[in-house]
Amino acid sequence: MEKERVLEVQDLELHYFTRKGVVRAVDKLSFFLRKGETLGVVGESGCGKTTMGTALLNMPTPPGRIIGGKILLEGQDILMLSESELRRRVRWESIAMVFQGAMNCLTPVYTIEKQMRETLQQHRQMEKKDATDRMKNYLNLVGLSDDVLRRYPHELSGGMKQRVVIATALFLEPKVIICDEPTTALDVVVQAQIINLLKDLKEQVGVSFIFITHDLSIEAEVSDRILVMYAGRIAELGTNAQIYGPQGPAHPYTQRLLGATPRLHEEVEELAFIPGTPPDLVAPPEGCRFHPRCPVLLERCAHDDVPLREIEPDHMVACWRCFDE
Amino acid sequence: MKRDRMAQLRSFWKEFRQVRFGVVGLVLFVVFLIGVVFEGPLLTYRDTNTRWRDMLYWTNSPRYAMPVWVNWFTSKDYAKSAVIEPHNVVEQTDGLRSVTMDFPYEYQAGRPPSDVLVDLAITGQVALSITVERPDGRTLTYTKQTSSSGSQQLRISVDQNLRERVYQMVASAEDPAIASARNPKQINAVGALFGKAQHGIFSEPEVLNGTYKTTLQVTLVGATAKLDRAQVVIAGGVSGILGTDGNKRDLWSGLVAGTKWALIIGLLTSLISVAVGVVYGVTSGYFGGWVDSLMNRIYEIFVSIPLLPILIVLSAVFKPSIWIMIIMMCVFFWVGPVKTVRSIALQLKENAYIEAAHGLGATHRRILFKHMIPQLVPYAFASMALAVPGAITYEASISLIGLGDATVVTWGQILFDAFSSGAVLQGIWWWIVPPGLAIALMGMTFAFIGFAMDTILNPKLRTR
Amino acid sequence: MSEPILVAENLTKWFPVKRSVTQVMRRERTWVRAVDGVSFSVEKGEIFGLVGESGCGKTTTGKLIMKLLDITDGRLMLQGEDVTHITGAALAQHRRHVQMIFQDPYASMNPRFTVEDVLMEPLEIHNVGKDRAERDVWVREILDEVKLSPPEEFLARHPHMLSGGQRQRAATARTLMLNPSVIVADEPVSMIDLSTRAEILAMMKQLQREMGLTYIYITHDLSTARYFTDRLAVMYLGKIIEMGKAGTLIDMALHPYTKALIGAVCEPVSGRVNRIKDVPIKGEIPAATNIPAGCRFHPRCLYSVPECWEEEEPTLADVGDGHMVACRRYREIQALGDAARTSDASLGLRRTA
Repeated sequence: MEKERVLEVQDLELHYFTRKGVVRAVDKLSFFLRKGETLGVVGESGCGKTTMGTALLNMPTPPGRIIGGKILLEGQDILMLSESELRRRVRWESIAMVFQGAMNCLTPVYTIEKQMRETLQQHRQMEKKDATDRMKNYLNLVGLSDDVLRRYPHELSGGMKQRVVIATALFLEPKVIICDEPTTALDVVVQAQIINLLKDLKEQVGVSFIFITHDLSIEAEVSDRILVMYAGRIAELGTNAQIYGPQGPAHPYTQRLLGATPRLHEEVEELAFIPGTPPDLVAPPEGCRFHPRCPVLLERCAHDDVPLREIEPDHMVACWRCFDE
Repeated sequence: MKRDRMAQLRSFWKEFRQVRFGVVGLVLFVVFLIGVVFEGPLLTYRDTNTRWRDMLYWTNSPRYAMPVWVNWFTSKDYAKSAVIEPHNVVEQTDGLRSVTMDFPYEYQAGRPPSDVLVDLAITGQVALSITVERPDGRTLTYTKQTSSSGSQQLRISVDQNLRERVYQMVASAEDPAIASARNPKQINAVGALFGKAQHGIFSEPEVLNGTYKTTLQVTLVGATAKLDRAQVVIAGGVSGILGTDGNKRDLWSGLVAGTKWALIIGLLTSLISVAVGVVYGVTSGYFGGWVDSLMNRIYEIFVSIPLLPILIVLSAVFKPSIWIMIIMMCVFFWVGPVKTVRSIALQLKENAYIEAAHGLGATHRRILFKHMIPQLVPYAFASMALAVPGAITYEASISLIGLGDATVVTWGQILFDAFSSGAVLQGIWWWIVPPGLAIALMGMTFAFIGFAMDTILNPKLRTR
Repeated sequence: MSEPILVAENLTKWFPVKRSVTQVMRRERTWVRAVDGVSFSVEKGEIFGLVGESGCGKTTTGKLIMKLLDITDGRLMLQGEDVTHITGAALAQHRRHVQMIFQDPYASMNPRFTVEDVLMEPLEIHNVGKDRAERDVWVREILDEVKLSPPEEFLARHPHMLSGGQRQRAATARTLMLNPSVIVADEPVSMIDLSTRAEILAMMKQLQREMGLTYIYITHDLSTARYFTDRLAVMYLGKIIEMGKAGTLIDMALHPYTKALIGAVCEPVSGRVNRIKDVPIKGEIPAATNIPAGCRFHPRCLYSVPECWEEEEPTLADVGDGHMVACRRYREIQALGDAARTSDASLGLRRTA
């Protein structure tokens, strides 16, 4: 049975208007997020995945502008809302974001309590005691004890700070949490702990996650479905089993990205890599955007724009090779 | 190699052109340079450089005259300053020797001049007879006898010497009751002289335009007596491009003469002191430890020494000279950038590329001069730009207490003269605004050039 | 077996910590024991890996080898010569022989320099090459070597005009300019996109084979370490706790800390998908000012028994084939087997966080 869709993105377009020209960072992106699901977004740096994350909050960084598309949050297009409505009803309230290096977002001169209370008070009228109880609840939920409230950020380790940020993101009970590289700055052990925490939270709270990272191995651990972005577009979108399963992903880009991800328990002589660099999004290549780096390209790849098509249930690919024609 | 340099310069210029405010700065700089190079032709008073403080040199100018271009904005023009040379000189040599000449003054203005002077230089005993004939035919007559063995200067001012005469000339035009109520010694003589002979000539005279002819008849008594010079000076309400100050000096000439000193004082002082300060600050921050502590103490000593008393003592020892003043300012100004530079250096030395250079075996000197100081160039430029106006005004304040170099004219001195004679309170704006603006523009010039250099030299700013 | 090119014997680096007034009065001194007695030897042409979490002292060890920091105690030998306390000309020589690749290639290059300036710098410092023309030729050769070709295209670029991979290539090129014998590579690929990581590592490996280089590869990433290195040493709080051939060490880890590190690694393998992982470790890494008595890992170890903290710290013991481990109970832990591991693991992370 199909679960309810929390978030649906249709033809989202975000361009950066720079002096060099228009950078098509997000180019007609369409996907949806089911309730209680984790959607992983992967790609190389500069593929537009972080930009997409900020676009979902209707908070593009200048000189970026959303120039088209819809972002339906439970049927309501948030791109049509005014700035104050966005602030009141969407940001943090319905969609929260955990930024890259989020633990550096904590102000060093305030206690954790003060920082959390501030976020809370901007959105909810609440008795002081109720607020404190709620903060404690959420800190416990992310595996921290109550006394963390009285501490200053420098007294906490990186992992603990990341937990505080996650708790702050959670405690207005949003429907969607966007995590942008939440574990990159952390050590392996702490990273594993945070990943486990996010997985637990998904089960306990029923919140949906969008998990943005460059690391396919982390997506394998956390995500139900994986969205592979290349040059501002979707290259492949499939379930965890479809991407990491024995038959492997369908798109040559995903295949190569997976091939370049080192495996701990395999002895390999040479690691694979993707030669070349991602294209300049001011003037992306014609046809399939991956074709200059593609090892298995067809003749038509160089000039025919490739659509995103479903090749099996829940599995969409943008590659001419994968279509039976 | 040489061609390489040229190509580099050309490409630098190509990039410099892209930075608009840099070009503005450069244009201003060129304007100042032109001011220095063409100082001679630009000076309306050729001896400004040498005789700025010589009151005699300026006696024929009006006091507090506004710039001439003020007339463009008023409906009632101010009379311009003018010096009228003799016309129709007739010398009579048989019998009693005498010289007759006239000085026609074409008066076309909305307001009377501030004074009319007859300026004479004579030798021996003479008898003077001066008449001024107005367009309406009324005449002002004045005679004077002088006797002296040597030569002397005579200056007869309408405003100061001829009030009663003017009164007599025009009193008949006014109501007898009003006229007799007036004290002849307190009338506005120049206004009355150039006023229509009608009711109100003493209180609010209406100007009478036309030719005013001054006739001078000099009777020379004795063989040695002679007339050396004669001219009529109209001290106008407006004078020169920038008017005159309270000492009758032409401000435009002063400003032009001051340009080179502003450039020299500003550039030399800021260049030397910023260079010293940057190297000092970087060294202190980079080495840290006891070197830093020691250098900090020395810095603090310099910061806490009050500059003015030291300068007073020094100028008692040395003859006040602009060069000594520049050196003294450098000695105390180098502390300016030190603190900031030191803190920037503390940050810079934490960069991985400093460590990388260490790892490659680079010496401290190399790291300081190749890796750290180039990063400070933009800051150095900015603080140079800021030090320029500081140096100029400091020079001015030193001049104020009599320690300035009396042989030169500087903007600061002009400005300080203005302040000390209360030009602000009297609303003599043309005495304050031009030198102030010039100092500000000079500072801006360097600031603009500095920022432009920064945009070009800092490759990180150049992208995007 | 060939001669070791680099030997570290009981290498130690303690940093003094700012003291409070009372501590000064009581004449107490506290130290950050960043590197606390590390011994290893590296053979010529070998790639030796140092792995561990941040704060374990691996980068400090690298800087000690570079002689960027003064060695507090112990001995460092390079090519049979004692270089522990060298200064002046000998230090300058040392810096020709040992080079370093930094984690962030962007930060390790002066932003005002062009690639040409960056590569010329080592030659200028050591006054190598008779004139600019000769140096120019070398710079171009090395650029070709690290596959930044054609060199003309890159010489005039500033670091910010290069991609991440190109920057690290340029940084690698700089270390090669002086023809060094040992290169310390501190997390050379952690800032680089996954897709190009392998490319950089492959290039580094190729250069190592061609030029007979010796690498000391410092990383927190076990997956690349396994692929890239010949031998691996795992560091914890300033000490090596396990060392051995890369493959053996990862597939047959003995020390509980190494096991925890391996357990925490994510892998893009279908069998492991979406399984809640067991990370057999408790708590967080303690501060290096306050290293636990006895075995320094015991507070976080799931297998610790009183003798672990009551008795002296275990030293590295050879368990065969060059595999060394500093754990008193490694045999028992091995014997406990998987069954014990699973039940212990439930104690693990999720409740002890």
